[in-house]
Amino acid sequence: MNAREVAHAALAAAEGEAEAVAHVERSGLARFASSEVHQPTLIDNAVVTLRVVRGSRTGVATTNKVDGDGLAELARRAADTAETAPADETFPGLALPAEPPQVGGADEETAGLGPDDQARLAAAAIDAAGDVPAFGFFTSGVTELAVASSTGILVGQEMTDATALVVAADEERSGYAEQTAWRAGNVDPASVAREAAAKAERTAGSAEIEPGAYGAVLEPYALAELIEYFAHDSFGALGLLEERSYLSGRLGEQIFDEKISIADDSLDPRGLPKSFDFEGTPKQRVALVEDGIARGVVWDRTTAAQAGNGVQSTGHAPPLESRDWGPLPYALSIAAGEAESVDELAGLVGDGIYITRLHYLGVVHARQGLITGMTRDGTFRIRDGEIAEPLVNLRFTVAVPELLGEVHGLTRSVALVNSQNFYGERYPYGVLAPALASARFRITGVGSKPGI
Amino acid sequence: MRDLCAAAIDAATGAGAEYADARVVLKRTQLVATKNGRVERLGDSESEGIGVRVLVAGAWGFACDRRLSADGARDAALRACAFARAAPGNHSRALTPINPQTGSHRSAFEQDPFEVPLGDKVELCLRADEALAGPDVVVRQTMVRAQREHKLLLTSEGTEVEQELVECGGGVDCAAARDGVFQLRSYPSAHVGSSCQSGWEYVVGLDLVGEAPRVTEQAAALLQADPCPSAITTVVLDADQVALQVHESVGHPTELDRVYGTEASYAGTSFLKPHDLGSLRYGSELMNITADATTRGGLGSFAFDDEGVPAARTAVVEDGRLTGFLTSRETAARLGSGNGGSMRADGWNRMPLVRMTNLHLEPGEGTLDDLLGDVDDGVYMETNRSWSIDDKRLNFQFGTQVSWEIKGGKLGKMLRDATYTGITPVFWGSLDAVAGRESWRLYGLTNCGKGQPGQSAHVSHGAAPARFRNVQIGVKT
Repeated sequence: MNAREVAHAALAAAEGEAEAVAHVERSGLARFASSEVHQPTLIDNAVVTLRVVRGSRTGVATTNKVDGDGLAELARRAADTAETAPADETFPGLALPAEPPQVGGADEETAGLGPDDQARLAAAAIDAAGDVPAFGFFTSGVTELAVASSTGILVGQEMTDATALVVAADEERSGYAEQTAWRAGNVDPASVAREAAAKAERTAGSAEIEPGAYGAVLEPYALAELIEYFAHDSFGALGLLEERSYLSGRLGEQIFDEKISIADDSLDPRGLPKSFDFEGTPKQRVALVEDGIARGVVWDRTTAAQAGNGVQSTGHAPPLESRDWGPLPYALSIAAGEAESVDELAGLVGDGIYITRLHYLGVVHARQGLITGMTRDGTFRIRDGEIAEPLVNLRFTVAVPELLGEVHGLTRSVALVNSQNFYGERYPYGVLAPALASARFRITGVGSKPGI
Repeated sequence: MRDLCAAAIDAATGAGAEYADARVVLKRTQLVATKNGRVERLGDSESEGIGVRVLVAGAWGFACDRRLSADGARDAALRACAFARAAPGNHSRALTPINPQTGSHRSAFEQDPFEVPLGDKVELCLRADEALAGPDVVVRQTMVRAQREHKLLLTSEGTEVEQELVECGGGVDCAAARDGVFQLRSYPSAHVGSSCQSGWEYVVGLDLVGEAPRVTEQAAALLQADPCPSAITTVVLDADQVALQVHESVGHPTELDRVYGTEASYAGTSFLKPHDLGSLRYGSELMNITADATTRGGLGSFAFDDEGVPAARTAVVEDGRLTGFLTSRETAARLGSGNGGSMRADGWNRMPLVRMTNLHLEPGEGTLDDLLGDVDDGVYMETNRSWSIDDKRLNFQFGTQVSWEIKGGKLGKMLRDATYTGITPVFWGSLDAVAGRESWRLYGLTNCGKGQPGQSAHVSHGAAPARFRNVQIGVKT
């Protein structure tokens, strides 16, 4: 059964008011280390979540047993749960039908890739890394999402995605690169490996620097991850309502350099397009920051009802099991600038540091947008406007508003940076990000040298 | 279940696998969560399927199928073999030998958490939620959870083990905000509370309702507190934060697959090398770390791991010296030491990885007051708020929800936004006291991430308050 059929069948098994969300995944991931595949995983699963509504009481049950007996049992458990729930007068009700936008995001060729193809494309990356051992993966998959509800919603979307990721590393060196697209044909594992290996070769003999605030160039990999962490608290409606968002009390104010514009745009074909959210509400493009001015956050039905000021869902309800975070921007897009290259950005910085990617970020203080983490797999000094000698991995503790408060420039080109780590059910999403040059990136410690 | 596993093994060996294992897993989870007086989540989830892992010409393959049928089992086995054959590389993976194991095991508990009516769980959460109310409180959250995992493992070597693991847990959080200051307090632990392989008696014993007013009081008090300064000073950590310190700076770096680089593309590697075993000075002589899959109530407890290796208790650090790694059969064979015993998978559709079981800092002597009493000037920190550590697990920075200055051996004024940072062996080298057995607690966390595709593991850590000298607190700029 495809996802629409599963959602429809689950809804049919329920009595009364209900909503079924079906998630079907077929994927393969060829993970390699030291240039050998060591964790090849093929996944084939179908999961359906049924939300049963009894007045203002709701109950939820989930299963991957999608035959008749399994769905009947699902309906019984969801109904039992709803009967147990206390009344919730803030429940906004199930979404009403609305025509979702037509988006791309599904590619027949990508959907057709099998284990032989995934292994072959992993091999292409390994071979292209040359003498530098390769660690990473190639993965492709097809994901179907469907929502059916007693209010008349029946929407479905097939999504494909492919990612090649390589850390090229030995004892002394390491470099990183990745490519993600909904068309596997737009992902070139060999090119990814060459980029990672070339970066690694420049990282031998790394030096330490003193903590302090430096001008910095962040590659798209680094900028995307940092903004995504910031977005979890600050660009979702729940963070705003709970006052942990940096945007709390600042909507309409200049919060970043005027060169910074950030949107959530699931309709952009350069990203991983989505047509509707996990409540079946059509996706909208949402301006979060325009020319440095805080414009808004993303909403789902629950937070819109909580706000009570007429705001509507923007189509950003996450899966039910992730609703603790409230609505989330799954398609962040940072507007490009005018610079032709990262070298040009280095020239704008003059004296500072160059950062390829980050590692293990932690939110130190959400309200301040304060985030810590490490640089990894390609950190360099910038001297006299040029990318110079390699540096050890650096600990940073950065207030994102400070980082984005004085921006020298951004590149004209934008990369799609994969954000999913493939926990739970596959749901492809990522960040469209250029490289950025900032006046201040706060280094607070030094770590180990590059390499494994 | 047994027939399905056997069918998968037969199909894999018939297709040329020199080794195969098949796991059928049935998992059910239940969650009740409230926020600000309303039930936010009330869910009941189940998942089942079979995962088949094979070695073909020295190469691994893994595939799974949600269908618990003979066709599903065979299809998974054949796809796993095909993926292994296609895998690039010069494979020569070997497994350290074990005797075939047979047996069954069930978690010990008094009251099955799934027999507790959902309505009672909702009521408990709402009562705790109500008890969190107070001035300046902007978010009140409560949560209770339960999980049952029933799994059967068969291997082509003759192992056949069946286990049912039951766990439950809970926690409360309270956030307060005023004048742009936002502060959070949690009990009994941050980040989804604490869980235990136990019956509902564990959740009852947490006394979420009784603890809630203290949590709220501290969250509100933090709004008035001064920020923790930057300094190099003596730090005393509560047992909860010590548990996380153990997890991040001892647990992960001693996973032997990380040492060999197989997590380099995601979670990272380790500052340890295989030849460090038996010689590396990890910390002071007061540092004793034990990996114990037999700990009663531990989330990492079992009778057999997901390779069928019997549970064991082993020393990882003794008197400050590295004496053990966490291993799989493959990594143990490569090292030429150990028997495996740390392999676990996140459900039926993921490949087993080297994971922590239960990793403990063994207790020392005295009480928290004794530890504080020997500090003229320092900071006491409680309950994790933020965490970050580098890919080799050397440079870390942790923040806690609350801290107090220590003056003349006594706790002084409350401080907010405390962080501390260090380099793993230097930090553990500065350990100069661990409180005794009576202060030792078991903390269970359910969000340990690793692997591609990602897997979450449930692990426990036993710890007591501990004291560290000459620690950088605050941010050095």
